[in-house]
Amino acid sequence: MTATTLTHDEVHHHDTPRGWRRWLFSTNHKDIGTLYLFFALTMLFLGGASAMLIRMELFQPGIQLLEPDLYNNLVTNHALLMIFGAVMPAAAGLANWMIPMMIGAPDMALPRMNNLSFWILPAAASMLILSFVVPFFPGGGTQINTGWTLYPPLSIQVGMSMDFLIFAIHLLGISSVLASINIIVTLLNMRAPGMTLMKMPIFCWSWLVTAFLLILVVPVLAGGVTMLLFDRHFGTSFFDAAGGGDPVLFQHLFWFFGHPEVYILLLPSIGVLSHVIPAFSRKPLFGYHSMVGAMLAVATIGMVVWAHHQYTIGMSLGAVTYFMIGTILISIPVGLMIFNFIATMWRGSMTFETPMLFAVAIILMFTFGGLSGVMLAVVPADMQYQDSMFVVAHFHYVLMPGAVFGLFAGVFYWLPKWTGHMYDERLGKLFFWINVIGFNITFFPQHFLGLAGMPRRIVDYNVMFTEFNVVSSIGAMIFGLSHLLFLYIIIKTIRGGKQARNRAWEGAKGLEWELDSPPAFHTWTVAPQIR
Amino acid sequence: MTQTSTPPADNPVLPLPRREPSDQRALPLCSRSLGTGLALLLGAPCADADYGINFPEPAAGVAQEIYDIHMLTMTIATVLLVIVFAIVFYSLYFHRKSRGYVADQNFHNSWFGHWSWVIVPMLVLGVDLTIAGKADAVLKEVWEVPKEQNIMDVKVTGHQWWWEFDYLDHGIKVESRFVPKEQSGDLYLREVDNHLVLPTGTKIRFLHTSADVLHAFWVPALAVKKDAIPGYVTETWAQIDREGTFRGQCAELCGTWHSRMPIVVDAVSPKQFAAWVDERKAVMVAAAAEAGSDRTWSLDELYARGKTGFKTRCAPCHQVNGMGLPPAFPALNGSKIATGPIADHLRIVINGKQGTAMQSWATLDDLEIASIVTYERNAWDNKTGDVVQPADVKKAR
Amino acid sequence: MSLPEHQTPELRRKNLRLAWWLGALALFFLVTSFPFWNGLFKIVGNQAAP
Repeated sequence: MTATTLTHDEVHHHDTPRGWRRWLFSTNHKDIGTLYLFFALTMLFLGGASAMLIRMELFQPGIQLLEPDLYNNLVTNHALLMIFGAVMPAAAGLANWMIPMMIGAPDMALPRMNNLSFWILPAAASMLILSFVVPFFPGGGTQINTGWTLYPPLSIQVGMSMDFLIFAIHLLGISSVLASINIIVTLLNMRAPGMTLMKMPIFCWSWLVTAFLLILVVPVLAGGVTMLLFDRHFGTSFFDAAGGGDPVLFQHLFWFFGHPEVYILLLPSIGVLSHVIPAFSRKPLFGYHSMVGAMLAVATIGMVVWAHHQYTIGMSLGAVTYFMIGTILISIPVGLMIFNFIATMWRGSMTFETPMLFAVAIILMFTFGGLSGVMLAVVPADMQYQDSMFVVAHFHYVLMPGAVFGLFAGVFYWLPKWTGHMYDERLGKLFFWINVIGFNITFFPQHFLGLAGMPRRIVDYNVMFTEFNVVSSIGAMIFGLSHLLFLYIIIKTIRGGKQARNRAWEGAKGLEWELDSPPAFHTWTVAPQIR
Repeated sequence: MTQTSTPPADNPVLPLPRREPSDQRALPLCSRSLGTGLALLLGAPCADADYGINFPEPAAGVAQEIYDIHMLTMTIATVLLVIVFAIVFYSLYFHRKSRGYVADQNFHNSWFGHWSWVIVPMLVLGVDLTIAGKADAVLKEVWEVPKEQNIMDVKVTGHQWWWEFDYLDHGIKVESRFVPKEQSGDLYLREVDNHLVLPTGTKIRFLHTSADVLHAFWVPALAVKKDAIPGYVTETWAQIDREGTFRGQCAELCGTWHSRMPIVVDAVSPKQFAAWVDERKAVMVAAAAEAGSDRTWSLDELYARGKTGFKTRCAPCHQVNGMGLPPAFPALNGSKIATGPIADHLRIVINGKQGTAMQSWATLDDLEIASIVTYERNAWDNKTGDVVQPADVKKAR
Repeated sequence: MSLPEHQTPELRRKNLRLAWWLGALALFFLVTSFPFWNGLFKIVGNQAAP
């Protein structure tokens, strides 16, 4: 896959807006990508701060720092900020930056809608933060003590904060559906001549699958929370048993969104890995076709196994058997992905720059999280794991490596391309080690807590759970603070550093590396011809 | 039972790297810590540890089967993890540029490269079927409550934030609430005032429901966990093998004091259980007789009874000092309800308040409601001097 | 700014048509989320429906 024509468009630069207008009215995919990434970074710190407060409270038994409802509200916000504020926008930022450059398109297919889908996000984030702030004022109602799952009837009891949160979720949903539509249209209609679907880079494939998942499941969540809003204010009883409704229905709606959401967070990072590992192994990706197939299979099976989050609600034997077997079968495509990554490294000529270190950590730790996922899928055993700290440990082992580390790898991998500067490799490696070790200290002990019987989402615990909680909290402080180093590396790289070559990494392949580092404001105005 | 704060002797804390991490050599550290952790997890004794590291020792037949399948899946997972780690670390060590290894550019075009997409899923499917087959067999036993005439029924109702246990076959009821730290000491958050007493060697069916929001009844030693959902009745079952005290907690986030809903099961021999049932019945009959008598109570009598009732039933939200935790739980001290018309006060206690955590207390008997209302109207700064008689409550219902 | 000046009118029409179709798909899932999932959930069946 090589470009035969390289032209850099230098026109239109005279009318490039400067100052705040450049960002507010931007229709340029690179600028919008940057906006997404900085937004995600901000939310990462907000969500991280809530997590660190949670862990500080859990450092010792007893209630020292946070009132129970404030604690529960932070639990809620941590999840929402990280999922909707940090990971999804960061993945969208990578998509915006890289997809047009990778497929040889001048920009996204619908640039003005691209602007809209980003600028809805700050509004949604303000609404979310408002929901947290409002209870501190007189007459502001109670705090959101439901967790991000917002299960009724508890969410019916909450004060006006819940309404702010519902609107925030609506806005976030609109933003991601618009972004997904844009990405699908771009990928299907804007590819350079000669780039068939099966020649498309895997990162683009991963986003194509992700975007379809988003379009299918986010509206269902929107429907669910709308019904919640109606139950709260307009006298309906969708979820109120006393009025003939059904509280479990909300759980089905929520997890019909919530489970595919896991793959929405995961797949873009799998896409990033499919570029990072071949680049640093100096060898093509092993099993391109099976990778595409595995992603499609994960998305398809992932859509129909949602109820494994609700094994304890009392489904019929037939239903739980189906959901159990379906869930266990997900290990097939996921196992194939991991296998392909390992086979790509196998007999390669590896070097270990920061993106590759993250990639290796992902393979090892995601395998671990995936295996504990298989344990959780087994219904009888899940009768013990359900809603315990074991679940918390499991999904952090899946989502931190699977989603967040993948994004870190992507940022370090493409940072030279975006800024034109190499980041400080020594600091990058230092960040990796502190981050990964801090992560393991934080979450590994939580497996034991869960098995020993500590439920999740409790503000206070018995002394028998002290030891592992202390370890976990210390790890969380290391892990949380390590991200300041990440911020420092990013700022340092933007401000200067060794000039990056166009092909910043020896083994890097793909159209994006044919462009200048940093790329011109408009790239691929004349589409490259793919052989 | 397994609480203490002795210093952890073999606490599997992840080892911190002592030397400056260099790029390739330090990688195994992270894996070694994972490995030791898992080894500990596997080799740990299932009970009697100072701090829990695995499930508590099963006390029921179902729990044993669940424990076994947990250990099976964990073993399979560990073996697979070791294999993956071994392959990855072999590759990390040998296939490095710094060792002068030249990449095999045609590896993906080999026979293996063309067929691995079939071979790998087959292998994974084999593992999956092993797990699913075993799981399916256990599942049937766990899921289906035995259809026997003489199964003992216990209805478990979750409330914010206490448990109600109705022994449907014996006509008795136990309310169990969390005990503050001063009285429970090391068992804080694992101890309740009234234990759930159950006979051993008897098949017991638990019927779960909720009076307000979602809760989940979870006793790890019995491996019973089921959500309590308002409007639903879900069921689980257990046959307890040995006598003992088994502790658990509410497992579904149910609001402010989710952490304060412990469950304590006392498993006793059927003979002791029968004696306990008789004792409870006598207490209940006496209480009912007292409440049903038509006598008029004095302010002091009602105040003293109300103080106890308030402390167990109302203080978790409204606080012992009557100041509540606004905005979720309003203060009663000086409140309009507790100092205004008696009828309004009774109505809110009997019917609850829609859309808030204030539930209906209609299940309490007339005497209990009368005494609590009298207490609330005379305690703290609410010196109204009102006396509410059980007869007034009867009228207000 | 790189407004759709880079796109030929045909490509622009093609893009917009696909975008509207995808939007309609999202809307379809929104409006059917309640009845459809309610129905399926009834078929899946609970041990004790309310």
